[in-house]
Amino acid sequence: MTEVINNQKNKFMGLTHAEVFMYLLMTVISITFLFITNAYLFRMNFADWQSLPMPSLVWFNSGALVLASVGMVWAKQGAKADDNSNLKIGLMATGVFGVLFALGQIKAWQELNTFGYFLASNPANTFFYLITALHVMHVLGGIIAWMRVSFRVFSRSKKTVTEHTIGLLGIYWHYMLLVWALLFSILLTT
Amino acid sequence: MEQSSAYEGQPLHEPKGWWGRYVFSQDHKVIGLQYTCIALAIGLTGMFLSLLMRMQLGFPGLFESIDAGSYYQDVTMHGMIMVIYLLTALFLGGFGNYLIPLMLGSRDMAFPFVNMLSFWFYLLSVLILVSSFFVESGPTGAGWTLYPPQSILEGTPGADGAGIILMLASLAVFIIAFTMGGLNYITTVLQSRTRGMTLMRMPLIIWCIFLATFLGLLAFPALLVGAIMLIFDRVLETSFFMPEIFKGGEVLDYGGGSPVLFQHLFWFFGHPEVYIIALPAFGIISELISCHARKNIFGYNMMVWALIAIAGIAFIVWAHHMYVAGMNPYLGFFFATTTLIIAIPTAIKVYNWVITLWNANIRMTVPMLYCLAFLITFLIGGLTGLFLGNVAVDVPLSDTYFVVGHFHMVMAVSPVLALYGGLYHWYPSVTGRMLDDRLGKIHFWITFIGTYLIYFPMHYIGFLGVPRRYYSNEQYDFIPQSVNDLNQFITICALIVGAAQFILLYNFIVSIFKGKKAGSNPWGACTLEWQALESPPGHGNWDEQLPVVHRWPYDYGLPGATADFVPQNVADEDIT
Repeated sequence: MTEVINNQKNKFMGLTHAEVFMYLLMTVISITFLFITNAYLFRMNFADWQSLPMPSLVWFNSGALVLASVGMVWAKQGAKADDNSNLKIGLMATGVFGVLFALGQIKAWQELNTFGYFLASNPANTFFYLITALHVMHVLGGIIAWMRVSFRVFSRSKKTVTEHTIGLLGIYWHYMLLVWALLFSILLTT
Repeated sequence: MEQSSAYEGQPLHEPKGWWGRYVFSQDHKVIGLQYTCIALAIGLTGMFLSLLMRMQLGFPGLFESIDAGSYYQDVTMHGMIMVIYLLTALFLGGFGNYLIPLMLGSRDMAFPFVNMLSFWFYLLSVLILVSSFFVESGPTGAGWTLYPPQSILEGTPGADGAGIILMLASLAVFIIAFTMGGLNYITTVLQSRTRGMTLMRMPLIIWCIFLATFLGLLAFPALLVGAIMLIFDRVLETSFFMPEIFKGGEVLDYGGGSPVLFQHLFWFFGHPEVYIIALPAFGIISELISCHARKNIFGYNMMVWALIAIAGIAFIVWAHHMYVAGMNPYLGFFFATTTLIIAIPTAIKVYNWVITLWNANIRMTVPMLYCLAFLITFLIGGLTGLFLGNVAVDVPLSDTYFVVGHFHMVMAVSPVLALYGGLYHWYPSVTGRMLDDRLGKIHFWITFIGTYLIYFPMHYIGFLGVPRRYYSNEQYDFIPQSVNDLNQFITICALIVGAAQFILLYNFIVSIFKGKKAGSNPWGACTLEWQALESPPGHGNWDEQLPVVHRWPYDYGLPGATADFVPQNVADEDIT
């Protein structure tokens, strides 16, 4: 118990503070979605469950989220190569397609409402609105983080944006895409 | 803050002015104190509510203002306040914030701004909760478990007004606060330990807070999801949890939902919550028992693995709260088994504490008194838990006062005893002064004996079959007069114990100004929080160099050393 361990950097698996924070946050978000999908799968076995049709717009929205994620790959490559214009193009793509996704989901809710699939009329409807809304809220979190980073990049703020920061932002957007892919496939197949 | 090249550790947020230093502070010590003060204040409110309940049970009809509705509101708010807003917040927000960076030799939490936000969200959640006392139909009276359908149906206090909505909203905000704090605690433990502070050299309380935080981060989302869905059912009349309900011959808009689904979500959070409270209490006891018995903690590695086992098994015992909910009896068998299994690592901890005391140089300080009281109380509460963990015994005892006696012993009195021990122990680190010993002992004996006089008879009342949650025990033939006499006795004891808590409050306030100067390490502890140059530690905790850790945190009675303890930051060659 008395061995001296000098100059040891106590970093968990060589990760930065922000990376540990981000991965933990993603774990918490995953658990939240896990619980709600569990509740969904439990509740759908009851007699009153009536699945609702998937609005075609949701497919386009999914495409937008894929492009937002691709934008972050583009931005990461730009940051890695110290190529500011590619960094900006990538970030712009993420922002535009990310916002498009959020607006598209709202539009999809309106469509469902127009065709009589009201929130409270069936538990399947309620779950659809709730799950997609929760996901959009987390995408909005990504948009807020994107705004913070983009402000620094586009305003030439003194606070530099590192490849590490872009990488972290990218991980969140890819994660949002992954979560959506899983949720969408559950909503689509049940 | 400009850092000199010799300055180690993460960059620090220099507080700007009085507001930045004491109100919107990012310093973990100030945030810890803010958490502690708010938690104690709301805890006093919770205690006051319990005294109102006791007055009704002991002396029915004495206060006209206590009717059935307000009684249920008191029950609900008392439970929720004590479990979430006092104990969870104080153990993790208070002790966690204050101790983690200091004990790990760090300057602050990994993300001080997020840490500050965590406190302000916590305060917001408390304010939302308290605001429900002032809305038209008052706070919710659904019981702290908030079971639907009853919790959101007209007739339950607070259900037709904003009470239940405010409760659920407050919980959601609390969970956001907890998540921000919790992510910080774990990141700090994993990333910000000073040189030499390996995971297996961390004080046990840090292990406990670390694991309790993990439990919270994985369990609170279940409550969040349940709360959001319940808000939907209440506000938008959806039917996640609401079955078909007939009221006065008319069918309500609800239908098809499952109340048991809510129970699963609630208890998937609810049982780990017991350990979110218990683990930090274990940690406090481990620190105090070793320090005040001047002896190495027995079986450090075993203690850590027992904690990890408890944290893991805590997630597969939840449905022992639901034996009478109508679930599959085979599931009951599974959950009874896991419940009994969790007693094994818990027993390991208790044995290790007892063995630590064996042949030790025990100092009967106030913190040590609390340790001993905790050991006995936790043992008794744990043993009655074994009764209730068995389906066949639980079914007749379910919803009786036996359950009330059990859970108060194990997750109310025990953690509070640990909490008080911790407050007496670390008060000198926070203020630089000692609490008054005589007042401390008076407070201890009244609290310790008093709580036994309160909760022991409840076990007996429970065996008689007296149901819990009844507003009045009159007019029931099966409840004998002796129960009413006992209830009067319990109420008088509760009033005395309640009043005794003001001794602690008085001691706290007066000792800040008139307490004996503590010096830097009044208890002769080995852990780092007592080794800072300044006492109390200043902003940034350490001077330019961070401490270097050379040993585990319990080197008491080291052969060859003059003092009976060797701090963690003393190298072998520096031992005198």
